[in-house]
Amino acid sequence: MSEQSLDKKIYSLFEVNLSIQKTLAGRYKSAFWVKAEMNKLNYYSQSGHCFPEMVEKKDGKVIAQMRCSLWKNDFITINNAFLRILKEPLKDGIKILFLAQITFDPTYGLSLHILDIDPSYTLGDLEKEKAESIQKLKSEGIYDQNKTLEFPLLPQRIAIISVESSKGYGDFMNILNTNPWNYKFFSLMFPSLLQGEKAVESIIHQLERIKKVKRHFDIVVIIRGGGGDIGLSCYNNYNLAREIALFPLPVLTGIGHSTNETVSEMISYSNAITPSKLAEYLIQSFHNFSIPVQKAKEKIEERALRFIRDEQGKLLSEIKLFSAVTKRLLQEDYTNLKNFKTALQLHAIISFQNQRSIIGRSSSRLIERSQQLLKDYKSELLFLEKNVNNMHPRNVLKRGYSIARIEGKAISNLNQIKVGDIIYTELFEGTINSTINEILTAEK
Amino acid sequence: MSEKQNYTKAFKELQTLVAEIELGEISVDELSAKVKRAAELIKFCKAKLSNTEEDVNIILKELDKSGNDI
Repeated sequence: MSEQSLDKKIYSLFEVNLSIQKTLAGRYKSAFWVKAEMNKLNYYSQSGHCFPEMVEKKDGKVIAQMRCSLWKNDFITINNAFLRILKEPLKDGIKILFLAQITFDPTYGLSLHILDIDPSYTLGDLEKEKAESIQKLKSEGIYDQNKTLEFPLLPQRIAIISVESSKGYGDFMNILNTNPWNYKFFSLMFPSLLQGEKAVESIIHQLERIKKVKRHFDIVVIIRGGGGDIGLSCYNNYNLAREIALFPLPVLTGIGHSTNETVSEMISYSNAITPSKLAEYLIQSFHNFSIPVQKAKEKIEERALRFIRDEQGKLLSEIKLFSAVTKRLLQEDYTNLKNFKTALQLHAIISFQNQRSIIGRSSSRLIERSQQLLKDYKSELLFLEKNVNNMHPRNVLKRGYSIARIEGKAISNLNQIKVGDIIYTELFEGTINSTINEILTAEK
Repeated sequence: MSEKQNYTKAFKELQTLVAEIELGEISVDELSAKVKRAAELIKFCKAKLSNTEEDVNIILKELDKSGNDI
């Protein structure tokens, strides 16, 4: 049907395309397995068909790409198989092994018509990606980073990455807010997608926001629940896992699924199977804090009471001792005083006795001596009197002496007399009248 | 005997008198006067002693009374 014009043979585009279609149909008769990365699924919800964009990359560069088609019924079957086996739907960015036929449509051009996709290939690839994420985190030395953060004594201020409508979030909040011990939690919601490809970016975005206000929070929890096990491979994403590993606050996960633990859960500070378990874990942390506090309180009470009792005892015994000592001192002083008083009395008595005896002795000596003195004087007088008596002429005459007188005068000198004179000699008993015969002078 | 006479002075005078009398240094003319003075002093001292003793006893008795209150 080609036209002949001068020297050129001209085909219509349709003719060319038909030719290509015919050639390809002849050349590629059977379907074959192809491995490639599904860059975009391009699902059209209205028709239910998909037109995936397949690529092959080498060193990050696209070295091949091809438009594909996946009809509604095939898509439903395949997607169900994926959900069953991978817990993931068909989605952008996964590597698939697909059974395809090359088709060429004059209107739409070349494409691969996808007849089937092997979920186990993708599963392996996802597992590989997960293993790679883990390996990468480990080799960077940050796999345990979030786990080694110091867990707050009281995980009280909680940044929650979840969605309000999530059943897991509801359970989590319900357990925290109705705990019978009245532990108070503060929480703030950072809403995010929690599953599917977009969740990675969304969660990272919220983590970035939390990081800016991290001083207001003790921990971050990522809560999901009630959404089944589908679309969780995002938690194996290296970027998300890295963000969690490097997060400055402990990140706890309660994603709630029954499949294998995801990388994000592995590297988080702690992972709970469900949001409820996570809430219980936090309450347990409060218990862990509260019980020693309670015990300390009891101990303080007990110690304080014992201390007071001890001190009371000490004070009492001090009082007793003081009282006893005081009494004894008073008693001693009293006794001393008494002794002193007795001594005083005794001294007074002795003093008086002494004085009396001195006075008495003085008195008796006075009497004795004055009498003696009188006596002495008397005897002296008596002696004198005696002498006086002795010298009386009558007494002298008595003792045989005599007095010769002449003319009444006592002869004391021989000149008074001469021989022949008559003299009178007076004796005691009378007078002798005699004449002097001779005068003899006494030899000198 | 003056009112201002006290025991110490009286006693000293008495001792002097007695000493003088003992030594026989007193003439007969002075004797009676001195003995009389000595007798007076003795009497005064004795009276003073008695009075003082009485006072002291009263005070000591009062001391006893207050002492029993301890």
